Amino acid sequence: MFRKFLVMALAILVSFSFISVSFAAEGNKRKGKYTYRKVYKACHERGEVDLAKPPINPDGHTQAEWTTIFEGKTFDEFGCQEEWSNLGENQLADIYAYLHAHASDSPTPLKCK
Amino acid sequence: MRTPKLKHGFGATLVVAVCLAICWPAVASDTEEEAPGRAMAHQVVKNQALWNTTAHSQHAALNKSFNSGKEITDACLSCHNQAADQFKQTVHWTWVAGADHGKAEYSLNNFCISTNRTADKGCLSCHPGWGMKKESINCLACHGQRKINWGEAFEDYNAFSGSSDVEEREIATEIQADIQAAAQAVGLPGRSNCGDCHFKGGGGDGVKHGDLDTSLTNPDKTLDVHMGIDGQDFNCTRCHTTVNHNIAGRLYTAPAAAHRKSLVEDDLTSKIMCESCHTDKPHKTSAKANDHTDKVACQSCHIPQFARVNPTKMSWDWSKAGKRKNGKPYKTKDEFGQFDYLSMKGQMKWEKNVLPEYAWYNGSIESISMKDRINPGEIVTVSRPVGSREDENSRISPFKVHRGRQPYDKIHKTLVAPILSGPKGFFKTMDWDTTVPTGQKALGLPYSGELGFVDTTYVFPTTHMVAPKDQVVACGECHTRTGGRLENLKGFYMPGRNYNKWINTIGWIAVLGSLVGVTFHGLGRILSSTRNGRKEA
Repeated sequence: MFRKFLVMALAILVSFSFISVSFAAEGNKRKGKYTYRKVYKACHERGEVDLAKPPINPDGHTQAEWTTIFEGKTFDEFGCQEEWSNLGENQLADIYAYLHAHASDSPTPLKCK
Repeated sequence: MRTPKLKHGFGATLVVAVCLAICWPAVASDTEEEAPGRAMAHQVVKNQALWNTTAHSQHAALNKSFNSGKEITDACLSCHNQAADQFKQTVHWTWVAGADHGKAEYSLNNFCISTNRTADKGCLSCHPGWGMKKESINCLACHGQRKINWGEAFEDYNAFSGSSDVEEREIATEIQADIQAAAQAVGLPGRSNCGDCHFKGGGGDGVKHGDLDTSLTNPDKTLDVHMGIDGQDFNCTRCHTTVNHNIAGRLYTAPAAAHRKSLVEDDLTSKIMCESCHTDKPHKTSAKANDHTDKVACQSCHIPQFARVNPTKMSWDWSKAGKRKNGKPYKTKDEFGQFDYLSMKGQMKWEKNVLPEYAWYNGSIESISMKDRINPGEIVTVSRPVGSREDENSRISPFKVHRGRQPYDKIHKTLVAPILSGPKGFFKTMDWDTTVPTGQKALGLPYSGELGFVDTTYVFPTTHMVAPKDQVVACGECHTRTGGRLENLKGFYMPGRNYNKWINTIGWIAVLGSLVGVTFHGLGRILSSTRNGRKEA
């Protein structure tokens, strides 16, 4: 029983990491940085936010947290829902790659400049 | 026991009464008309509106694609063809200030200690070259009016511009538009140009100077009467004038105090002090404060406290660096939200509204270098103000004194400098045994391997954050028997502070004698006139 449980847990863990890695590998982090900025530039021009700058820095979350957010597509904390809902899968993958690569526990944590 | 108390009470009342009698005309009349020093200063700056003879956005040299910072510099130099030769001679570029001194030589402080002759690459973030290199000048570090992240912009532009992806090429076009707009937005250095380094020296906002931090980017006049955007709105360049890219106001090697030139005498003088605009008799004729200007710097009274908006770092103990919690480096914050402990840096103390310390000062600072032997048995003065009461150029001046505890070589008896930045630097490794030898090797100086820590002091003249006149230091803050601002300045007599029993006794006898004499004389006149009157009647 224990062995079955262990195998299942390992399988979940491996597939989870595989999904994360593939998500990160697919996205273009350099492009993602500009797409992320564009979201808030458009949102600012629309008048929803005061600053044309992303409110959450890449180092605002750990890599695991970014993975959870993007897998669940739970972008509530980002505001600017109109712009987020207009993003395609590729654009989301780009943004994810950027944020994940510079998360607080990454080798190169980063703030948006 | 009661008699002395009464005597002191009576004495204090009389001193206050005399002070009031002396100061009152000045205080009272100050509201009636402008002090001459202020009137002169207003005259000097009345036509300060700046004007340009060119629109940089219309120059062909600046309307092209730029792939690197150097290409922008080449465009600047295609018109300003003497600028590079001039600038490369200045201390802002060379970081050399005389033999063995300067950031690029053996100068040190008790913050991040040394640049290790620029081997510590982290320090180059404040060097005005492109990409943290001492190769091509970045004119826009000082003249750029629009900030962008140049390193990122060029890297991303070059990555996207040749892409087969349409979206990436669109991004490249946008980045290039930003680069061009920033390259064309040039002018005289503004506060944030100078402030990028001078407000953030020592690794963060307000760390070093105490009278220079980001609160001066857009201050109101209660913080600085000159720079306040609701007042005179001076830029740094209003006082720090420039000749051939050499920026005046550098106190250490060529002090303005040696000349004390007025702009009235020489309106092209490059070394400006308070007197240059306000004259050496700035207060109203009857004001006692005018009698102080030959011995007391204007700043001593007019900057009652520094770090009045943002806190400043007052001490840094490197000996506490390297501690871990649960095997990991950690950091803690103080009541100002500043880090007061970081494993990679040690223990810090931040303060706000700090009272300066005072010293005789002729405008020069004397510093030791990495080569100088120290006496670890006493507090090492890494830098100290030069001056004395006997020196006619010296004035009692205010200072921030930063106290440190920093590493030294127990055998060679010199201060030592670890490499701090980079993957093998102390900030990452927290290992003195590897980073000090690397740092000393970069400096070309020996290291015995015997490391100790010694207490040090480092001074900064306090000259910015000039407060409005209603906040100036009051007479009684210095002229007081105990706890005055100048309590630690010895070797001279100061009324109200110094006390000699015999002189005071003789003085009081003279005062009381005069009082008695005047009273009796008056009474005599009254009595005699009354008697004469009766006789006449």
